Amino acid sequence: MPGSTGILAPGLTTFKRSVRSKGVSVESSIDNLISLLKRRQIRDSRPCAIATAHLLRRVVETFKITDISRLIDRVQQIGQRLISAQPRELTTGNIVRRVLGVIREEVEEDREGEISGYSDAGTDSRPQTPREQDSRAPDYSALFPRSLTSSLLRHGEMDSKLEEIGDGRPQRPPLLTSQTSYAVTNTAPTVTSMFSLLSHPRSNVPSPTATPGSQSPGIHLSLTSQALANAGAVKDLKAEVVEGIQEILEELNQADDQIAGYALEHIHSNEVILTHTSSVTVQKFLLKAAARRKFTVVHAEAYPNNHEATHASVIGKAKGEPDDDLGSEVFQKTLTAAGVTVVLVPDSAVFALMSRVNKVILDTHAVLVNGDIVAAAGAKAIAKAAKLHCTPVVVLSGVYKLSPVYPFDPDALMENGDPSKVISYEDGDFVDKVEIENPLFDYVPVELVSLYITNLGGHAPSYLHCIIDDHYCAEDVDLDKSNAYR
Amino acid sequence: MAVSSNNSMPTPTPEEPSITSHSNGSPPFDIVKTYNELCRTDPLLTHPIAAIEALISLLAASPVDTISETLSLLSTATTALKSSVSNPIALSAGTDLFQRYIISTLQQRSSQDAKGRSRRNLAGGTEDFRAVLAHLLANSRLFVQRANEARGKIASVARKFVRDGSTVLTCGRSRVVAAVLEATADENVRFQVIYAEDPLPSSPNSTNIVNNLRRKDVPVAVIPFAAMATVLSRADFILAGAESVVENGGVISSMGTYQMGLLAKSKGRPFYVVAESHKFVRVFPLDGGDLPIKGMGIEFSTENEEGKGMHEEGRRKERDLCVEFTPPELITAIVTENGVQTPSAVSEELIKIWY
Repeated sequence: MPGSTGILAPGLTTFKRSVRSKGVSVESSIDNLISLLKRRQIRDSRPCAIATAHLLRRVVETFKITDISRLIDRVQQIGQRLISAQPRELTTGNIVRRVLGVIREEVEEDREGEISGYSDAGTDSRPQTPREQDSRAPDYSALFPRSLTSSLLRHGEMDSKLEEIGDGRPQRPPLLTSQTSYAVTNTAPTVTSMFSLLSHPRSNVPSPTATPGSQSPGIHLSLTSQALANAGAVKDLKAEVVEGIQEILEELNQADDQIAGYALEHIHSNEVILTHTSSVTVQKFLLKAAARRKFTVVHAEAYPNNHEATHASVIGKAKGEPDDDLGSEVFQKTLTAAGVTVVLVPDSAVFALMSRVNKVILDTHAVLVNGDIVAAAGAKAIAKAAKLHCTPVVVLSGVYKLSPVYPFDPDALMENGDPSKVISYEDGDFVDKVEIENPLFDYVPVELVSLYITNLGGHAPSYLHCIIDDHYCAEDVDLDKSNAYR
Repeated sequence: MAVSSNNSMPTPTPEEPSITSHSNGSPPFDIVKTYNELCRTDPLLTHPIAAIEALISLLAASPVDTISETLSLLSTATTALKSSVSNPIALSAGTDLFQRYIISTLQQRSSQDAKGRSRRNLAGGTEDFRAVLAHLLANSRLFVQRANEARGKIASVARKFVRDGSTVLTCGRSRVVAAVLEATADENVRFQVIYAEDPLPSSPNSTNIVNNLRRKDVPVAVIPFAAMATVLSRADFILAGAESVVENGGVISSMGTYQMGLLAKSKGRPFYVVAESHKFVRVFPLDGGDLPIKGMGIEFSTENEEGKGMHEEGRRKERDLCVEFTPPELITAIVTENGVQTPSAVSEELIKIWY
């Protein structure tokens, strides 16, 4: 590792520096990130997501592509290693899946130019033998089973930003709202899962009913021949993928501001808002509303893991996490300075105060496909209290935190932190006699949440799976091929 | 019906009259008989798939030349089929899927043609239609096989719910539930099963689940249905099959599922439904009374049925009321071959095939 990193403790900043430097090989960057994740030197959703995106960008840049399916395999392998290094940081897997989606989408776009030629050749033989046509045209549909519209949606949203900096891509329509995904699904060649039962034998290779093990060599074969046929196009493809990853990184940087953009729709004058932990996302959201409205914020301090940061953010002494890109400009202004009345309360007072609260706004660590969230410890007590008082609970989460993973075992996502934060080790009497636990997370079931606000807007819990379908390829959901059926 | 949207397709030319003439003398094809035969011979066949198979045999047996002829043939056959059974919902999932597949494939092809080529001869539409038809006729066994594979796929997803030491409560005669539990047993997961037995004496299938699991060394406790509430606190979650999944995400399944769902909700136990996606059907019932199923009403009587015994009436009712509706709010998740979905995702899938 270069000596320049000596001053800083290993973390996101040092990792980003090392991953960019030419002297460090890709392989050692991967190992570096894995050990950082294992040692929890990079932790929390956003830093993990940023680190993963940076690593994968490097991987794609340095990859000598002869065959695009190899790149997919490679990214999948790296993804598996990162996930097994730290399975609780779900954003790592999310970013890996997003990047895989970008690669698949670029391949599909590439195909669209050529496929018409193929199908022209194929049509004449089609009436007699429908199968033959399939075997002649390389079957890329295998690679984009269902939700490649996914990235269309995301790109649309990115496009509007790109156009601002004069790098708009004209071939993609700017789709600003998630609702447009319906339209996209319809115009795309219909590969709905329900029809997979009746579809042509070859055309649904990744479909649930096909056994993937036996089929996938077929995909690779057709891809290889295709890739060899136009090696020139591959170069472009790589640049496009890198650009796609760049867009993901940009999205990570802007998510909080975009979420804050919806603040005025949700916070009204003279409301009492309850929040919990010091979260940049929530802080920005409230500040945005504070610019126009007067309201009261009841801030639960989140003892023992986050109370210091919470206190600091209330009085405005907080600095951004040292690992953070945003640095010191995060808390440029406190809520009190913006004219908001802030009431700092211990977590135990939440229930008593809930009857006066109009709205609960929570930050989250991860959102799972069924809408359950993993949030800082104490969130469930707050959500339960809110449910009892029929107070709406709003969860703020960037799209990058939405995970397509179904929580078969929610306990596996929980984590216990440093017990010395509860009782310090100097307190020998305690440490000897009792067991001290300090859970970091709470698992909040979807029934307790009223609304999710992502950088795409507000979504009802029942709509969440559509957003997830739009962003991840169904094939990539299960990255761990060893235990998976597919 | 969305047939009107087909006007973009070229009208087929009567170029091959030979096919129409050659089988004119054969006896008319009996769709109901074929369907019942299929259901009887293959116990693994679900109603929707049996309906699809029956429709394919119908198309194979009857000479059709044009798209609209086919569609009207299908719709008459479907109506005949639906009126022949007491619960038409399950098979209508199959007939709808079949009809939508034909329509949307043809639409897709014609729109692709419009894009790809500037000009095509009029016979092109007919050729496409023949290709689709040929594909359907040639692959009918494949569809059955895929439907059965879907079950294995569901099993591979749903078995992740069962962990070492967990206790599963189930009831009914669902083939998918059986597949899930047997697949889990094959993975050497140590779990227990509580099976709430249907009081209906007949079905040989129900004991099959119990016997098969015990053969695989899975401890199974068989309880009467009435003991469900008492036993529920011992179970970690509930697994149920379904005959159909309706648009709002509710399910139509064997008697007792609704009770089980209500109890699960009140005790805070997860209630998972396993069903293949070809069972999704476009019906939107607000409660069980909305379903077009015969024999769902109850009759009040002051007459004692002397001689027949008091239980005769209940038994008869039981035979009639073989399925019921479970509303979506009781269901934690529906596991299809596409993965674990929330009940609200069902309408999404249906919208995709209908619009």
